Amino acid sequence: MKKNKLVSLLTRWEVFLLVLLALMCLVFNLQDAARVASGEARRDVFNVANVVRSMRPYMLYSFMTLGMMLILAMGDMDISVGAAATFSVVVLGVTYNALTTAGLLGLPALILSLAACLLVGALCGALNGFLVTRFKELFPMIITLATQLFFRGFSYLLIGGQTLTFDDETFDLLKELNSLVDMFGIKVPVMLPIFLAVALVFYFWLHLTGNGRKIFAIGTNAIATQYSGVRVDLIKFWCFVIAGLMSAVTGVFFVGATSSSIKADIMDGYHMYAIAAAILGGFSTDGGKGSVIGVILSLIIFAVMKIGLGTLFGFADSAVNLSVGIILILSVLLPNMVNKLRDDLRVRKRRAEVSKAA
Amino acid sequence: MQEKRKGRPLYALLIEHREIPLLAVLVLLLILVSIRVPGYLGANYMNILKGGSINMVMAAGMLCVLLVGSIDISVTAILAFAGAVCGKLMGMGVIQSTWMMFALGILIGAVIGAVNGVLMSYGKVIAIIVTLGTSYIVRALIPMEWLLGMNKVTPTELTQGFKDSMVTNTFLGLPFLVWTAIIVTVLVGLFLKYARTGRNLYAVGSNAEAAQVRGVPIDRIKVLAHVICGATAGLAGVMWLGYYWAIEKGSANGNEMFTIAACVLGGVSVTGGYGKITGVVIGALMIATIDSAIPQLQLGNSMITEFIKGILLLFAILLNVILQRIADKQALARRGI
Repeated sequence: MKKNKLVSLLTRWEVFLLVLLALMCLVFNLQDAARVASGEARRDVFNVANVVRSMRPYMLYSFMTLGMMLILAMGDMDISVGAAATFSVVVLGVTYNALTTAGLLGLPALILSLAACLLVGALCGALNGFLVTRFKELFPMIITLATQLFFRGFSYLLIGGQTLTFDDETFDLLKELNSLVDMFGIKVPVMLPIFLAVALVFYFWLHLTGNGRKIFAIGTNAIATQYSGVRVDLIKFWCFVIAGLMSAVTGVFFVGATSSSIKADIMDGYHMYAIAAAILGGFSTDGGKGSVIGVILSLIIFAVMKIGLGTLFGFADSAVNLSVGIILILSVLLPNMVNKLRDDLRVRKRRAEVSKAA
Repeated sequence: MQEKRKGRPLYALLIEHREIPLLAVLVLLLILVSIRVPGYLGANYMNILKGGSINMVMAAGMLCVLLVGSIDISVTAILAFAGAVCGKLMGMGVIQSTWMMFALGILIGAVIGAVNGVLMSYGKVIAIIVTLGTSYIVRALIPMEWLLGMNKVTPTELTQGFKDSMVTNTFLGLPFLVWTAIIVTVLVGLFLKYARTGRNLYAVGSNAEAAQVRGVPIDRIKVLAHVICGATAGLAGVMWLGYYWAIEKGSANGNEMFTIAACVLGGVSVTGGYGKITGVVIGALMIATIDSAIPQLQLGNSMITEFIKGILLLFAILLNVILQRIADKQALARRGI
């Protein structure tokens, strides 16, 4: 019994990710040391401070990934998150402009427009949730494909092809979200502690409360869950709302990163990053599995890969994308193959036993 | 009750031919635009066809993949990759003939499609993950130094013959771009309707287990569907190159959604087993028409196109479901349940 527990602990996805991360760190460290020894570089590049700093671009869609996580855990798919984020950001900009021209200046205007932004994100999610639970014949992917175009259309309707730019002091507060702060002697992106705090909340909710476990139950077997007295549709609806809300949050951070300029297509295609990060983190489009820790690890892996492959080995950005693609496929293919091998072995063993008995 | 049994009721016809309502909307849209902008059709139908043909070719391949209950979101990445490789080879002087370009494009696409298919059917990896992965990989391969070492193909690298091949050269008044789309859709349509293997695609999609018991090699059929889809995407890459005379690693990024949308608009079921090439053609035409017609209406903001596209798609798919529900209810009522 004890051995089985150890085996199941070691075959957990997070452990695999940790091993992968450790291997990458080892290789990159060796390369780093070789570079310093050969005089190619003056000092080492691959250290904690640099990795933490290069987490910043990945933090941008980390919040969206948290939302996507919920959807994937239920076995659904939401490809409208990027468009929803863009839409809510566009609303943020338009509201802020309207409020300032109406004479409301400063912090109240920003807070009101932030509230509008989050509200729109949640409403986008609510529309998705409503359609997904009411039109069960349709795959969530198709519904969100349609709502993606719908949200994108709304953004274009509001601001067209123009770029909204803001250069007043209050709006520049958003830029602070993208800055680095000194923490424990190293420079940490402001987004990182915020993300970790939110991720912690998600961890407790998803893994340690009954409510959260129900989400995984829906992903494993929605019908059985329904018959065991869980209000599946209600949970689904709220998960989509949260996913929409998280994409609005992502949008707000994104505005900070793009120096407060807003366009109607700024976050097109971002859903793919979120899906990739969540799947590498152990979630599956089949639903019912995955963990928050895995998602955090996968974001760290992205950052390590970026600095390792990009700076140390001198590969272009495309090499990082290449490895993301390969890891994405392998991360599903390998466990499948291992499972198949294990099943084959079990069958062979059983056959041998049967033939011995006969 | 008695009257109903006589003729086939209208809604049954609508359910059986899901493309009919779509066709009606398409015609209505064209009429509306023609009233607003006199002479619109005469001047612009060629633009509609040209704009729609690349998407239509990809949608024909996507239909095959959707039929077996799979999906391919790497089509536009394949488009960019195949187009870039072909264009580069032409720039280096390896390929001179336009036909070779097409053959190579189709071959490259088919190989990537085969990889997708094998991973999906034999590796049991979910289609959306496989194709997400390959689209990352394939797009990243374009600027790799050992492969092509470039970010884009420029018009100067292409021969004049190839540049003329798609748009300038016409046959019976239609540019070859459109002819290619017609040939591909007709071929796929005939294959799906009359070839035994084509019918097997439907069988696998509607009930894989039954198909397997019946002796259909379901894994091989799934791979085949992905190969067809990849091949059409590769072909679309060469078409893109011939139309725009340039291609880069980010070309057509995100357009795969419009390819899927063309299929969904045309009534193709994403769970597999249902869908017709006529629907897909109308769906692709619909998207192309909206793209070309809405700006002509001058409803104010030119970006309203995107908005209308979104609304139309959303309502088209919801209408499909509602029609189906009404039909099911009527069928039950007729049997007195």
